[in-house]
Amino acid sequence: MSDTPTLSSTLDPLLTFLAYSLSRLESTFYKLPGSAVVTRYVKSSHQNDPGRTILELILVIFAIRTLLQSRTRGDKQGKHFIQFSEKEIDELVDEWTPESLVQPLNDWEQRDLSSVPVTTGPIGPKPKLLSNGKPVINLASFNFAGLAGNEQIKEKAIETLRKYGLGSCGPPGFYGTVDVHLDLERNIAEFLGTEASILYSQGFSTISSVIPAFCKRGDVIVADRSVNFAIQKGIQISRSTIRWYDHNDLKSLEDVLISIEKERKKRKGPLTRRFIITEGIFERDGEMVDLPKLIELKLKYKYRLILDESVSFGAVGRTGRGLTELYNVPAKQIDMLVGSVANGLCSAGGFCAGSSIVTEHQRINGTSFVFSASMPPLLATSASEAISHLRNTPSILAALHENIDTIRSVLDRTEGITVLGHRASPIIHFCLRNTQQHLTVAPPDHEAEERVLQDIVDDGLANGVLITRGKHLRGQEMTDSRPTIRIATTAALSRKDVEKAVGIVKASIARVLAKRR
Amino acid sequence: MFNKKKSLGQLPSMATATSYLSAVHQADSRARGHDISPASTPALSTSSSITSSSEDTVLHESDDNNTGLTYPRTPPTSEQVFTTVHSEFGHCADESYRCVSQHNPDKPVTEHEIEEPPYYILITTYISYLMLIVFGHLRDFFGKCFAKQYFTHLMPYDGYAPLNSDFDSFYTRRLKRRMDDCFSHPVTGVAGRTILVYDRHSEDCNYTQIYPGTKTRALNISSYNYLGFAQARGGCADAVEESIKRYGVSACGSRLEGGSNELHLTAEALVARFVGMEDSLISSMGFATNSTFIPALVGKGSLVISDEFNHASIRVGVRTSGTQVRMFKHNDMQSLESLLREVISQGQPKTHRPWKKILLIVEGLYSMEGSLVNLPHIIELKKKYKFHLFVDEAHSIGALGPLGRGVCDYFDIPPRSVDVLMGTFTKSFGAAGGYIAGPKHLIDALRIRGHSGIYAEAMPPPVLTQIISSMASIMGVTPPVSSKAALTLSPSSSISTLRCPEDDVHPGMAPASAIPSWISLPPALSDGSEARMRIRRLAFNSRYLHAGLKKLGFITYGHPFSPIVPLLIYNPGKMATFARMMRTRQTPIVVVVVAYPATPLVTSRVRFCVSAAHTKDDIDTILQACDELGDILDLKHGHSERWPLEQIMRQSVELVNNI
Repeated sequence: MSDTPTLSSTLDPLLTFLAYSLSRLESTFYKLPGSAVVTRYVKSSHQNDPGRTILELILVIFAIRTLLQSRTRGDKQGKHFIQFSEKEIDELVDEWTPESLVQPLNDWEQRDLSSVPVTTGPIGPKPKLLSNGKPVINLASFNFAGLAGNEQIKEKAIETLRKYGLGSCGPPGFYGTVDVHLDLERNIAEFLGTEASILYSQGFSTISSVIPAFCKRGDVIVADRSVNFAIQKGIQISRSTIRWYDHNDLKSLEDVLISIEKERKKRKGPLTRRFIITEGIFERDGEMVDLPKLIELKLKYKYRLILDESVSFGAVGRTGRGLTELYNVPAKQIDMLVGSVANGLCSAGGFCAGSSIVTEHQRINGTSFVFSASMPPLLATSASEAISHLRNTPSILAALHENIDTIRSVLDRTEGITVLGHRASPIIHFCLRNTQQHLTVAPPDHEAEERVLQDIVDDGLANGVLITRGKHLRGQEMTDSRPTIRIATTAALSRKDVEKAVGIVKASIARVLAKRR
Repeated sequence: MFNKKKSLGQLPSMATATSYLSAVHQADSRARGHDISPASTPALSTSSSITSSSEDTVLHESDDNNTGLTYPRTPPTSEQVFTTVHSEFGHCADESYRCVSQHNPDKPVTEHEIEEPPYYILITTYISYLMLIVFGHLRDFFGKCFAKQYFTHLMPYDGYAPLNSDFDSFYTRRLKRRMDDCFSHPVTGVAGRTILVYDRHSEDCNYTQIYPGTKTRALNISSYNYLGFAQARGGCADAVEESIKRYGVSACGSRLEGGSNELHLTAEALVARFVGMEDSLISSMGFATNSTFIPALVGKGSLVISDEFNHASIRVGVRTSGTQVRMFKHNDMQSLESLLREVISQGQPKTHRPWKKILLIVEGLYSMEGSLVNLPHIIELKKKYKFHLFVDEAHSIGALGPLGRGVCDYFDIPPRSVDVLMGTFTKSFGAAGGYIAGPKHLIDALRIRGHSGIYAEAMPPPVLTQIISSMASIMGVTPPVSSKAALTLSPSSSISTLRCPEDDVHPGMAPASAIPSWISLPPALSDGSEARMRIRRLAFNSRYLHAGLKKLGFITYGHPFSPIVPLLIYNPGKMATFARMMRTRQTPIVVVVVAYPATPLVTSRVRFCVSAAHTKDDIDTILQACDELGDILDLKHGHSERWPLEQIMRQSVELVNNI
């Protein structure tokens, strides 16, 4: 009996405090604007349906929980997650034996690597080999217009070096935009006749950055089945819907375009961006696209055209402006014209020309433009100098095409090979002629063919001509193309040298093929 | 001291301050001829006559010097000899302004420490962004109704979908455009200690910029020129000039298809020796080094674990490879370990098969945070969890470590305990491109299987020469012992020759045979003394700027030795104002401001990139500017002890040594 009052007396202050704070809380709650509405709502909903209050309470708790959950939790809650104890994890860690980081080279790769020619001294039409110091005729390097070693360009480069140093030491966004870069961009745009252009610091990384800058998830890309590796990578990164058409077959392209249009009408989907991506002259086989026809299709079906002129720019047309000059098509009709400064102008880097909306967009969205240091200034001025050289001396391109004709005419008459590509292409691919045409069902043995071709290359090199196989990353490329040997022509060689060189190549082919039989 | 004497004796020098000043006048009046090559003909006697080198140490342009940018505020005394152009590489003779970049093994490795700003800063920052977004959308809405002509490129037009959707480009149009004047500023000349920026202004809210054609010389605390090798004068530039004469400008083709030159082999051998690996390969673009070689390392069935702040090039590379990728919290070793335990125990998703291999990709020095990777801990984890380790040393190579060999050097960890070391030449070496170094079998495989080898153009000879000469001068070149100073080339013309002899010790000097015989570096470069001075100056400058900003009360991120010093600004409006006010000071300073999406939304920052080319006076100038702007813009929210500016400037050496 006597205990109860003491207990209540000890609890008393606590209870009063609780009551006080409750009333305080209530009064502050009612002071809040709009609180009356909430109370009325809760009361009425509780009266109508007590179960609903509980449901809503659960909903609120769930919402809070979701908000508080870490967004980077991984798939711990996934149904495939297996709970392990710490000890078990330790055991699993001990048991796990990873593969080595790379698989060692196989014999063929080893041979491939050791047969790579290394030059010494000046790089140009007749370099010396490091292995034996002998001069060779260079039909492997990209020096179409023969600008390598040009004294004027060298002078310009040295002048730039003395004013700008070598590196630009920063990405274009952060004080890496040097005036000479802007000059070159303007020069390229003027040269081609587009509104603007943008300069990337590596040719290979240009188009694989241009494509994902425009093509996003849900967009449609229609591309040639045989586009080069850089385009394939760009398409892969873009995550767009991709449709392929047969290699350099514009009929097939039109079929694809029509079927896409049909599908879209059927689905009544929204209008998405649509692109046609192809190469001017294909790096793989030297085929040339029929540009006027392509533009006609693109305009008819309202696609944007991304054209890779990495091979044709600086090598085709009267002054090397590329396919647009050859076909006399205004470059403005090509939405994104991508080319290589490294190949065409014998410097380094790449560009994308188009309208200023197109180029400005890339200045923020082209990953390899934004996140990479800009190109060394002296390479930019060399390229500018190369452009003015091309403009002023159209005879270079005439000489180049004479050399192309010389080489093709000899190779066309050579036994055992098939010459691929367009006759204006500065790169000439040839492959072994299939002796048992269409008779075998078995897939062609590419590696064996590669070996034979490599024998020809080695034999040619031993006799003083530098050529190369058209190399591909087999297994990583989307389609497996026919093994070829690639000859890169140059205007820097005289007709006599070219005749001599192609004669040697012809002899090498004959020798190797004779040995094979 | 000995080194200094030596350089005194061997370089044509200007003995007095008066001769320095007269050289200034002479050079101004002299026509610009480039036929001189002063470094290749070092004078033997201590002649104090004004020779060709006077043209090398002062600028041609007649800037006024009230800013202290073109000529030093205090002219050099007769004791001091400088061979650099002050506007490219600052004159700083005081030996106390040096410091050694080295990890103290007694101290734990500092991880990413983040100081929180007061709440009102966070709230106002969020409100700023909210307002920008609301106003942006309002303008879009009304603009599309009433001013259609400005929105044609965002709306379907003539059957074409818009090239960029208004949603995707919203940030660029409505937020970035307001401060476009702080980005992509065209410059000219050398991106050294100072830089010439083109003046520009906009009359239509940054849609177009107007260039009157005038230029302003500004203090450059933005370029990645850590060791100050961005120079148009000096031994490296002379070597580059020689290489252009000898080799031309371009490599004309890819490495595997006829573009390989002896210079590539020389440079690769030197890089391998520099970083302490068996072999290395060079790619012509830094970004492409990651994006084209990572796919050759990992593929299906492998897992990449990547730091959340890794550079875009790594992300592109991993995405191209099609590999699974998991991220861990920036530099958080616990997060990494728990992730490792999870992924190894769970195996591949769904199938639960064990991973073929796990590759951990981290950066040595993070470009936006300035934080340093906790390499010792990672190496410990590597032993336990058996993953492969790829360290991207884009920013740390050359800039960290007592010998400039990167994070491994800084922590005194043998480089070969890392599987793959990647780095770039854009930053410390004043060149371009990147490298990957590792065991020979790995590099050989990458040569063949990487995308760059076949498809990308090889690095041009002038760039290779800049790499060789700057790297050799950092290493120092041992004088040739025998007369047979030939390259050790294997007889076959393989691309992968030029091996280092086995007795080579890392980190040692480069043997004379490792660099081409036609490169003749001036003595101060070839004995490595100047580069050592550069490394120590960089370490001092970095630490001083870090410590100074902290003591002024700013919130900064990053490691004290990191040449990247981010100063937190938070509010987007202040960020643009900061950059503009810095640029329009009496001594103009160009700074880099970065915001979302390069950083998390609230933590907008200005990023200083310290260089060895800066003098202590330059850092003082920057501190003073920050001090003033910090008061005006209310940026000082740090909690640590504060000092007045004068005290910081006076006690700089003490501050640096007791960090």
